[in-house]
Amino acid sequence: MKLWMTAALMVLTGAVRAEVLLSADEIEQTLTFGPWPPSFQSDPSNRVSKDTRSIQLGQAFFNDPVLSVDGAFSCASCHDPEQAFTTPEARALGRVLLDRNTPSLRNLAGLRWYGWGGKSDNFWAASLHPIIEEHEMAHSPESLKTAISESAYIDDFEAIFGDIQDQGPEHALVNTAKVLSAYLETLATDRTQFDDFRDALEDQDFAAAAYYPEAAQRGLQLFLGRGNCVFCHNGPRFSNNEFHDAGVPYFLNETEVDEGRFGGLNFLLSSPYTLDGVWNDDPDKQGAWAVRNVRRSHADFGTFRTPSLRGVAETAPYMHDGSLGDLNAVIRHYSKINTERLHADGEAILSQLNLSEQEIEDLVAFLMTLSKAPY
Amino acid sequence: MIRCAVWFLIWSSAAFACDVTGQRVNSEVQNAPEVYLSVDEIPLAQPFSLLVSVCSETAVGQMRVDAIMPAHQHGMNYTPKVTALDGRTFRVDDMLFHMPGLWELQVDVDINDQSIFYTSKIALK
Repeated sequence: MKLWMTAALMVLTGAVRAEVLLSADEIEQTLTFGPWPPSFQSDPSNRVSKDTRSIQLGQAFFNDPVLSVDGAFSCASCHDPEQAFTTPEARALGRVLLDRNTPSLRNLAGLRWYGWGGKSDNFWAASLHPIIEEHEMAHSPESLKTAISESAYIDDFEAIFGDIQDQGPEHALVNTAKVLSAYLETLATDRTQFDDFRDALEDQDFAAAAYYPEAAQRGLQLFLGRGNCVFCHNGPRFSNNEFHDAGVPYFLNETEVDEGRFGGLNFLLSSPYTLDGVWNDDPDKQGAWAVRNVRRSHADFGTFRTPSLRGVAETAPYMHDGSLGDLNAVIRHYSKINTERLHADGEAILSQLNLSEQEIEDLVAFLMTLSKAPY
Repeated sequence: MIRCAVWFLIWSSAAFACDVTGQRVNSEVQNAPEVYLSVDEIPLAQPFSLLVSVCSETAVGQMRVDAIMPAHQHGMNYTPKVTALDGRTFRVDDMLFHMPGLWELQVDVDINDQSIFYTSKIALK
């Protein structure tokens, strides 16, 4: 009897034809999340961008502890390739417990800002800072140059950049960061169930689009509509790559706060490694307009860069401090957001959504389809 | 990625005819010179440029351009760069609308030692 009912249900499920629930306006918005993958241009600020030898050396450096002053760990220790280039800990563990969650390193080519606070305006600078940060790899330019000179990688390094003894320590540091960046540029998430849906809509193949689960479609409708998620999570990467107050507490302890974008801008504007600096390989300094023209505001305090949602199901925990353990918790955070935690003089885009349990499930179902199946 | 921008225009009275193209923007100042905006496309969260033309018998002084999202209580995260191309036309670079929704473009022009304020609504999808 039980077997008969199961079979009947299967037939019934197959007979109930799914459909595209989105309105014409929602479909138009959905198309803006693709196509995927996007093509990315060579980084003009990095003369070894897209160079095969540099990509290979960058990958070797990434996985080798030679980039930490005492050989204690490699980039991959915190950005684990087997775990979507992050780790499951809430906050990164360098030489001490760091202040923020380790971001995944995928889909980062060509961004305007890097890091939770946006302290870098280019990928090679973002790759450089952890090497010399005292709580992370803790090299000095001098110790790094010595370590590379004495490593098995010296021939490959010199084949790309010439005799290392002709390079000052800072030059060798920048060159190291540029091969790392050349490798990291190649890391991208795969196409997903969402991309198949989006492309089917573009082709007006609604029969194919209807295979996209209805729960995910309802979640997408919330994402575009009442949830207002699309305000910040837009474009093919599902991020506007700007900085926002998500209502997550930024107190690190009783006396310290994470300044977020405010601190990131202070760092950026005193950094020699921006697109407006001498280490940029591009004589036209394309992209330097952003660091020249970026505005500073008290409201930057405690704002953090909008993370991409591509592959999001693989990168728990979430938010800048890793304080939310799963996607369900993230949706509940925004549903019941404590608006008193938001800047009084900041942007007014978040309010309590008071989502139903079904709506929470639908939003999670949608987010799941932004990662490779199955999740 | 390129989004559709819809312009909401309010017409003001003409004071001086000139041969420019683009969308006319509004001022609450009586008999303010006509000002027109020309932009190819407005990409979401990416920089774009526009041209601002002022139909004035006299040369125009400085121009300042900015934009806000009134409903969101925020503006742009970057200061646009305004370059005078001739006495009446200005190129505005490094504009960036980082959110979809209704933006208010603001143009402040010095004409005959008077600052005249213009606005135009732009809905970015």
